[in-house]
Amino acid sequence: MAGKDDEYDYLFKVVLIGDSGVGKSNLLSRFTRNEFNLESKSTIGVEFATRSIQVDSKTIKAQIWDTAGQERFRAITSAYYRGAVGALLVYDLAKHVTYENVNVWLKELRDHADNNIVVMLVGNKSDLRHLRAVSTEDAKKFAADNNLSFIETSALDSSNVELAFTKILTEIYRIVSNKALESSENSNVPSSQVVSITPTSKDEANGGGCC
Amino acid sequence: MKENDYSLHKIEQFEELINTPNIDLGKLRKLSWSGIPNQFRPMVWQLLMGYLPRNQDRREVTLARKRKDFADTANQAFSKGVAGLDYTLYHQIHIDIPRTNPSSTIYQNKKIQKSLERILYCWAIRHPASGYVQGINDLVTPFYYVFLSSYLDSDLDTYDINSIPDNVFEAVEADSFWCLTNLLDGIQDSYTYNQPGIHRQVQKLEEFIKRVDLKLYNHLKKEDVQFIQFAFRWMNCLLMRELKLENIIRMWDTYQSEPDGFSEFHLYVCAAFLVKWSKDLLEMDFQDIMIFLQNLPTSDWTEKDIEMLLSEAYMWKCLFHDSPNHIS
Repeated sequence: MAGKDDEYDYLFKVVLIGDSGVGKSNLLSRFTRNEFNLESKSTIGVEFATRSIQVDSKTIKAQIWDTAGQERFRAITSAYYRGAVGALLVYDLAKHVTYENVNVWLKELRDHADNNIVVMLVGNKSDLRHLRAVSTEDAKKFAADNNLSFIETSALDSSNVELAFTKILTEIYRIVSNKALESSENSNVPSSQVVSITPTSKDEANGGGCC
Repeated sequence: MKENDYSLHKIEQFEELINTPNIDLGKLRKLSWSGIPNQFRPMVWQLLMGYLPRNQDRREVTLARKRKDFADTANQAFSKGVAGLDYTLYHQIHIDIPRTNPSSTIYQNKKIQKSLERILYCWAIRHPASGYVQGINDLVTPFYYVFLSSYLDSDLDTYDINSIPDNVFEAVEADSFWCLTNLLDGIQDSYTYNQPGIHRQVQKLEEFIKRVDLKLYNHLKKEDVQFIQFAFRWMNCLLMRELKLENIIRMWDTYQSEPDGFSEFHLYVCAAFLVKWSKDLLEMDFQDIMIFLQNLPTSDWTEKDIEMLLSEAYMWKCLFHDSPNHIS
């Protein structure tokens, strides 16, 4: 069995979504196992992987669910959005239609995910320079207008893959730790303001919830 | 394909049976359940799938008609080239074909890829209630492989594909199309909207495991592993993502010999398959279970392992089949 990475301070559930063939599974395998496979089999339903990273000397464990892109699987994949604190919404920057469909995926998230989910728009396949169909400026502007963070990656040549995951996990961590700070400073926060992003820290995961 | 070592007696039995003018399908199923020798498999599969008539006199004309029917559908659909196709549907099939069996050289051959594209596209337009669903691309490959092999005098994996004449491809394509059609007719609600067939199967698997391996069931519950998380794929691709093609081909000898091989019997096979890893799984936590089940160590599985699996499934089927309350 692989070495346990059970020591963590935060556990964040993140989903990978986007059209079929944009490279979701390869982004995941590049990030978690440093592997890339040009002809990897299509994802059926959902697949799972994890990796831990360090932020501010805290260990953050990402539990990542890679979903099938085909529409027929939407019913099963959307069930995994619940409880996710982050989503990487991936398109293929060499296929414009996968970028156009980003709106469809945003709607999916609005319908099925927590309101506070952190979404990062990821333009994958930046190695295909001569085939680019979506400009960086357009995507950047779209991301800003929709309050998403944005990055371009290549799972094939590894560029920005590490950065993409680190960025979104750090962003989630900042939100969560600030909220934790706020609520400890101000004990009469109305309950409606309590973040619906609820990370499971190791202590909480171990149960002893009643104090 | 690997040479298999069936006894001379078994080979004679097949020989005799398939040369009768009106083949007794009951006998053929009985004989095929425990494996079909390579040389008979293409014909026997076509008989068992209900494609090739059991009556010798009707075969030639039926095959000609069926092959023409498929060729007409395909030629019509593709008459205007890619531009005349339903883009979304074609695109999905087109990107799935090269990644259907990426490690196998034959599926990287352009001619074979085009052929598989036509089969899947035609199947999808004839079955609009489900259309093409990822995973169906896996299901066509055992037929295609077995049927194409029958025309070649040496191993398909090392054969010069481009030397195969077009009429062979046309016949293999049509025969694979019809056998795939007949297979999917029995499990179509696995691929319709919301995939109710798969949810029902996964539910039954869960209830069945609870009965036959409560310890494992409780452990999976305790670790918060949901059956749908791993068994969805088992149902959607009929374990083709879990086992090698040669194992699957042997498994399908039995599936086609069972009355509801690809649905009910498959469920018992999945149960036997899961229980096989019970000891390993009991030692694992959520994360390890998920990762283990996504990548099961079956690459060295032989025909013996498959036969063990099938016998266990059969045993359970006999025990529980007539007591449906046990699993529903």
